Amino acid sequence: MSFDFDAMLQTIKDKQWSLADIDWDAPGAETVTDELRAKMKPFMADLVWIEHVGARGFASLATKAPTPTIRRIYEYFHAEEQKHANAELALMKRWGMLDEDGTPPEPNINVKLAIKVLDEYGDGLPLTGLATLIPLLECALDGALVKFLLDEVSDPVCHQVFRHINSDEARHITVDFQVLELIGAGPLHKLVIESVALLKPQVVLGLIVVFVPLINKMRDNIVAMGLPEQKLYNAVKRFATIGSRGDFTQRIPAYHVLRAQAAMVVDRTSPYHRLLADPMVRLTSLVPARLLGKPQAWVDELTHEPIAS
Amino acid sequence: MSAVTSTTASAADYDGLLLQGGQWRGRSFTGLRVAVLAPGREAALIVPDVVRTARSVKVFQEEPDWLVAWHLPLPRLLARPAARLSLRWSVPDPWTRRRLTPDGRFNTRRPRVDGRYYAALRQPGCTLITWPVYAFVPDGVRSAEGIEHRVDCIVLGTSSVFATASSREDVPA
Repeated sequence: MSFDFDAMLQTIKDKQWSLADIDWDAPGAETVTDELRAKMKPFMADLVWIEHVGARGFASLATKAPTPTIRRIYEYFHAEEQKHANAELALMKRWGMLDEDGTPPEPNINVKLAIKVLDEYGDGLPLTGLATLIPLLECALDGALVKFLLDEVSDPVCHQVFRHINSDEARHITVDFQVLELIGAGPLHKLVIESVALLKPQVVLGLIVVFVPLINKMRDNIVAMGLPEQKLYNAVKRFATIGSRGDFTQRIPAYHVLRAQAAMVVDRTSPYHRLLADPMVRLTSLVPARLLGKPQAWVDELTHEPIAS
Repeated sequence: MSAVTSTTASAADYDGLLLQGGQWRGRSFTGLRVAVLAPGREAALIVPDVVRTARSVKVFQEEPDWLVAWHLPLPRLLARPAARLSLRWSVPDPWTRRRLTPDGRFNTRRPRVDGRYYAALRQPGCTLITWPVYAFVPDGVRSAEGIEHRVDCIVLGTSSVFATASSREDVPA
């Protein structure tokens, strides 16, 4: 079953692309009408920030990687998620969604909470927790959001950018689940110890306050745009589908917890929405952002400029 | 132990001034935008020197290493906590500090004595970049966060993953 992580690292290096490869002034920006621009702007802002936060998640994951090769792969994934955020910001600039200076949009409160939690606790989370959470986020948010975008926008530059992004994401998901297989195949006592470590109140609370409303808030935004939420649910289902293919992933307790959560997320009739997730969206919207303090400097690393001198 | 596998990128694709081995020593970089590509232990030697005269310096640090400001007669066990303290004192910004912290599991080198690197990184015009570089282009380098960094001069450390076999030599740890 052993997966060749060295070969994967080489593929990742070979498949690198740059914002400088793309002609950001090519025709097609005019296909984004005023109406579409207004509708898409908050969606794009969320997308940029989710990629950016995902990048930070990989940075934490790198500190827990089981081997030097996997660590290097995560360092590349950290950079690639940042590249996706940069490219999406460049699309926003191309479509006239940013000001003259290209200042990145302000993140919503749920993203700000995610930033706070990652800064405070990200590097302290055990490998099993982060390694399970990140593929769920990637399946759910990235997968679904990107598909919405391509359905809505006909700009060829957008499609060119997302061909690159999708190809990167396919590798991310492959590695994410191969690492779960590797963890799952490890000794049982290690799985149990790491799982118990995950029951720390700040971790459980972090999941409820940050992750639960983040997904539902995104669903609300998608529904507000008039898009079928079923697509988000299909993407969440992928997490369970791919995970169930592995031989060892199912030995990981955190995987079962998140899979159960994913099942509740996709079931619109589940009391999960009524009693937990939707109230959490309303509750978190009341949190004053200034309470969260100043985020770490990585949040300022977004840029839409393909060339820096 | 290093996870860096073979790389297909070649510094020969860069058209500007490329300095390898010890060619950066005793040189003036006045008016130049310089990129330094090296692991931390070697960047610690190069950057303080380059930053004195260059217009701007981008430090593409390939891997962080432990540094201590002074030579202290400490047992091996205490060398790393001393380096950690030194980093804590010298670099107030937590995100920069994080990027200068080696992975203790895979980087087993002893701390190197250097009191100038962290201060040099705080000079105006000096930027620490930890994104992996994946290609050289005529005007500079491209790194994996999707940006092309244009520079007038590239200083390639002898321990850099891009150093050619002939220019590579081991830097004492």
